[in-house]
Amino acid sequence: MDVISTRSLTKYYGKTKGVADLTMGVPQGAVYGFLGPNGAGKTTTIRCLLGMLKPTSGSGTLLGETVTLDGANLRRRIGYVAGEVRLYEKETGRWHMQYAAGLRGGRAPLTDELLERFELDPSRRVRELSKGNKQKLALILALAHDPELLILDEPTSGLDPLNQETVYSLIEERVAEGRTVFLSSHVLSEVERVCDIVGIIREGHLVAEEGVKALLGKRLRQVDVEFAEPVDPAFLAQVSGVDNVSAISATALTARAKGDAVDALVKRIAEQQVVDLRIQQASLEDVFLEYYRDSVAPVSGEGGEVR
Amino acid sequence: MSWTLFKATVHQHRTSMFWFVAGLVSYAWMMAWFYPTIGEEYGKLVEAFPPELLAIFGGSEVPFTSVGGYFQTEYLGVMWMLIVSAAVIIYASRALAGEIAGGTMEFVLSQPVSRARVVLTRVAVLVLYAVILATASFVPIEVFGPAYDINLGWSVTWTLIAFGTLFVLAVGGFAMMLSAIFRGGGKPGAIAAGVLGALWIADVLSGASEIAEALGPINIVAYWQPGLIINGGEVAAEAWWLYGAVAVVASLASVLIFLRRDVA
Repeated sequence: MDVISTRSLTKYYGKTKGVADLTMGVPQGAVYGFLGPNGAGKTTTIRCLLGMLKPTSGSGTLLGETVTLDGANLRRRIGYVAGEVRLYEKETGRWHMQYAAGLRGGRAPLTDELLERFELDPSRRVRELSKGNKQKLALILALAHDPELLILDEPTSGLDPLNQETVYSLIEERVAEGRTVFLSSHVLSEVERVCDIVGIIREGHLVAEEGVKALLGKRLRQVDVEFAEPVDPAFLAQVSGVDNVSAISATALTARAKGDAVDALVKRIAEQQVVDLRIQQASLEDVFLEYYRDSVAPVSGEGGEVR
Repeated sequence: MSWTLFKATVHQHRTSMFWFVAGLVSYAWMMAWFYPTIGEEYGKLVEAFPPELLAIFGGSEVPFTSVGGYFQTEYLGVMWMLIVSAAVIIYASRALAGEIAGGTMEFVLSQPVSRARVVLTRVAVLVLYAVILATASFVPIEVFGPAYDINLGWSVTWTLIAFGTLFVLAVGGFAMMLSAIFRGGGKPGAIAAGVLGALWIADVLSGASEIAEALGPINIVAYWQPGLIINGGEVAAEAWWLYGAVAVVASLASVLIFLRRDVA
């Protein structure tokens, strides 16, 4: 049984589309990465799942229960970090922890451990905290009661690399204990690092849902190479999976390699004397542009393919 | 109702409530202190004002030279309504709409607390504030009054507190209902203040305008006559019913609206 599932979930804000006909599922124990650029519909989907927004049509279930606007008991089993953390500015971190624990019947067994791992001073008022420290506080509030399901909307936003690593470790530990994590992001490296399954949303539609390995297979790399001798662009264009080959100068070429083609490309380059070589990972946006341009047909069911 | 939510809500509004209470106590004491200095000549001068002008200060139904008339005109009329209405409109506007716009409602509703509990708790805090504001308004007159030859008696004071509490609840409940409808504290606050202002104008113009007079039976401003109670009289039974009905209906409407709306 899926821990999270939606069926034709649709939300319009007046005439503006938030999310359209979204059908997806997240199995128990998975880390599901919900990917998409800003404004794609990630936060709308999450808010519908949490009962904060009323769907225009369609429905969702969490932990086997149908999502309603007033599902207080369901939220007892969920930890949530909002995309934009907004807490009571005049109150301290400790006040927020006691408040959340009070609303949860006093249950917050992981508070001390999390404070230590994030090295957060809970005595400071929220308005005195940096963006990163507010994010840490939100993560502590979401994780302290050891929820069965974590819903994290861009959880590492504003965090330094060390604390990002702490978040990834916490996610991995929770999943090892059988918890499920639903994580929205627009950072490919983050998704690569922690997610098992990826759903890509664009303009409110789910355009792809697949395993992370499959997504990585579609990844692009930009290769810039300078040779000791002049080289014709056709030298690289003949390699399978390589395109957009062009000459920067008589001795320098640039090319784009898809997925595993980088191996063949590097071997081809090595046939000549190389002066300089630079390989850049394409951004998630580049992957979108390459694979999902003009792809508006949504995935119709679980495990769907890219259309 | 959630006790945790109740305590947190009170905690967050403690400073503003303290200043409103301090202001009301000071104002009440100051008016009691000034009472002996109001001479008969001044009283007659005020009573000679046109009824419309007296109505602006809420003093049309009670003679100014009486204790009730003096307090109603100088303190418990328009000024008092302005102060307590500002207090509860600010509170109610922030309680739902302000928290939605500020994003903190998303945090509250990510916890295991139902929407109905959130609204009912906010209304419970409104009741507490109404009692506190009314108490701070009238008890100082009872306590400091004897020093200035003002002797209301506790039965009058309790009646004033009950009547004042109901008035504050009617205004606050209406503002809470608007807060359940809109996003951001500005709009519900502005509409509630605007409606109250319109009712006050209707009360002032009730002798001169048929439309304004027609509003009379539902005009909560027109029914606010604490001077009658101070003078040992009684306000119309409809006033109690109207305030109570507005407070209860608006509060229930707040719950029903909030249960169905988007909160993020």
